[in-house]
Amino acid sequence: MNNRLKVLRAERNWSQQDLAERLGVSRQSVNAIETGKYDPSLPLAFRIANLFALPIEAIFTRD
Amino acid sequence: MSARKSVYHRYLGRMAVATMLYVAAIFVAAKTLHHAAAISPMAIGLALLPGLAVLLMLYAIARLLIELEDEYLRLLEVRKSLIATGVTLAVTSVWGLLEAFTAVPRLEVFWVFPIWCAGLALGAVVNKITMGSAGLM
Repeated sequence: MNNRLKVLRAERNWSQQDLAERLGVSRQSVNAIETGKYDPSLPLAFRIANLFALPIEAIFTRD
Repeated sequence: MSARKSVYHRYLGRMAVATMLYVAAIFVAAKTLHHAAAISPMAIGLALLPGLAVLLMLYAIARLLIELEDEYLRLLEVRKSLIATGVTLAVTSVWGLLEAFTAVPRLEVFWVFPIWCAGLALGAVVNKITMGSAGLM
């Protein structure tokens, strides 16, 4: 699965730590998701979508 | 202090207590009992003390997995435990077959837990390579 997390974060000038704190997860989690090493659970994907006020499919896309 | 750090601190605290108890109990048992000492309540009690420490270590690992709310960090720890279990099963099963059919030295069951702990370390390396982060060391 691909995602636009890094781009969305950069548009807001947030560091990985900033995004992690907003999501209530570790910085390692954000890094792993951004680099495609880890696909988040559906609840976390919804939290990410809510934070950016976007539908999930606008952030996460199929390979 | 974040909830995540306090989870790690509680884990490290439990492991520190269990490790100190393990080392002390092994030392006392080794100094007090000879190998294959006659069965007595005191001998059994002293020999079981390190086992209690091992149970405490397993409890600490279980609590870590239960208390970790960050799903990615929890995944890293679960992967380490699975890899450690696989390593332990592989080593003990293969060695057991060697013992059954050849004259290789007997592997004491005592070594099962240390082998599992070595498997955790290997799991951390595999995590670092494949997941980008080792998890808690």
